Amino acid sequence: MDCNTCDSAPAITINVPEVVQVDLTMTVKANEMLASAFGDDRSHALLVGVLSGGCSGYMYDLQIVESTDQDCQELDIDGFRILIPNATSHLLDGIEIDYVEKMMGGGFKINNPNADSSCGCGESFS
Amino acid sequence: MRILLVAVVSHSPEVFNVGIIALDGYVLILRGDRILDFIDGLSTNLVDGNCTTVFTTKNAKIIDMVEIIPIGDLVAVVGYGPYKDQILSHLTAKVLGSKITIGDASDSNQVMLSTEDINLGTSITKVKTFRGWLLIGPKDKCPKENLTKEQFDEYRVNNIIPHQGHEITQNVHPLSCGLGHLVHENKGCYIGQEILARMRSRGRQGKRLIRIENPAEDATTIGETHSLVIRK
Repeated sequence: MDCNTCDSAPAITINVPEVVQVDLTMTVKANEMLASAFGDDRSHALLVGVLSGGCSGYMYDLQIVESTDQDCQELDIDGFRILIPNATSHLLDGIEIDYVEKMMGGGFKINNPNADSSCGCGESFS
Repeated sequence: MRILLVAVVSHSPEVFNVGIIALDGYVLILRGDRILDFIDGLSTNLVDGNCTTVFTTKNAKIIDMVEIIPIGDLVAVVGYGPYKDQILSHLTAKVLGSKITIGDASDSNQVMLSTEDINLGTSITKVKTFRGWLLIGPKDKCPKENLTKEQFDEYRVNNIIPHQGHEITQNVHPLSCGLGHLVHENKGCYIGQEILARMRSRGRQGKRLIRIENPAEDATTIGETHSLVIRK
């Protein structure tokens, strides 16, 4: 392949989804677990993102961060800072953040009304 | 090239149809952070460099089989022309906030397949695949086609090589059309992985690509004496 032809390849327009003002709720259990993780320090935030991949196409990406270079909307849920990247807001509107105990250990779980289906492990959705 | 073709024919019937054929292919150019990881998370094979892989739907049906060719800081994705729109739709929906750009170099590049390793100029990218040597380059610098479609089909039938539009279609999953070797067993999650893994673990792969003697009513590719079929 001629690198000159690569450089001149017309760019494909990637449609940026409309940014949605996310409505988000959190269960009591999730609230307790976040309080336990953050302690009294509210300087950090829970970043709820979405990555491509997983068995169904999209995977949740939860991180505790102080800040991020992603363009985010910040929500205050029960005193916790929740960051939602605008690029994935259309996939996260209406979600409920839950925390579930499992035999293999507990973890946050996202209940997402936008998901048509999810994989067996629950970490991936489409 | 024709002289070479005749010479090989007379010596080795097993490699009867050697030569070069033009394919109906697209060439997408992906740039950005962790492109190989991005493709790896969406396709069946382990993508950590030059390889062939298959994009599948969540039902494990094929979207397209593509060649992944890293070139410096970009990655070329070479697939089957009629499936380009579906691949683009699939990829662009997964970019999300990633710093990934996609360019379309299909018009300026010709995709060809050579059944043997040949020496070419530096402007032609040559990669070895299970089908033969894939050649991609500017149209005015590509070698001339010297294999007819019928000869190429005969080559594929003899070597049980599936091809897009024949065996590799969007109605089948990779295990049934001879692409099982492109479905990595333990690479982790990708779209369609659960279904393909279940088929393998339960030994229920359903139909398979086989070569049978003519005639075959359900042939996907008809050769002179044998055909390729997808059967249980």
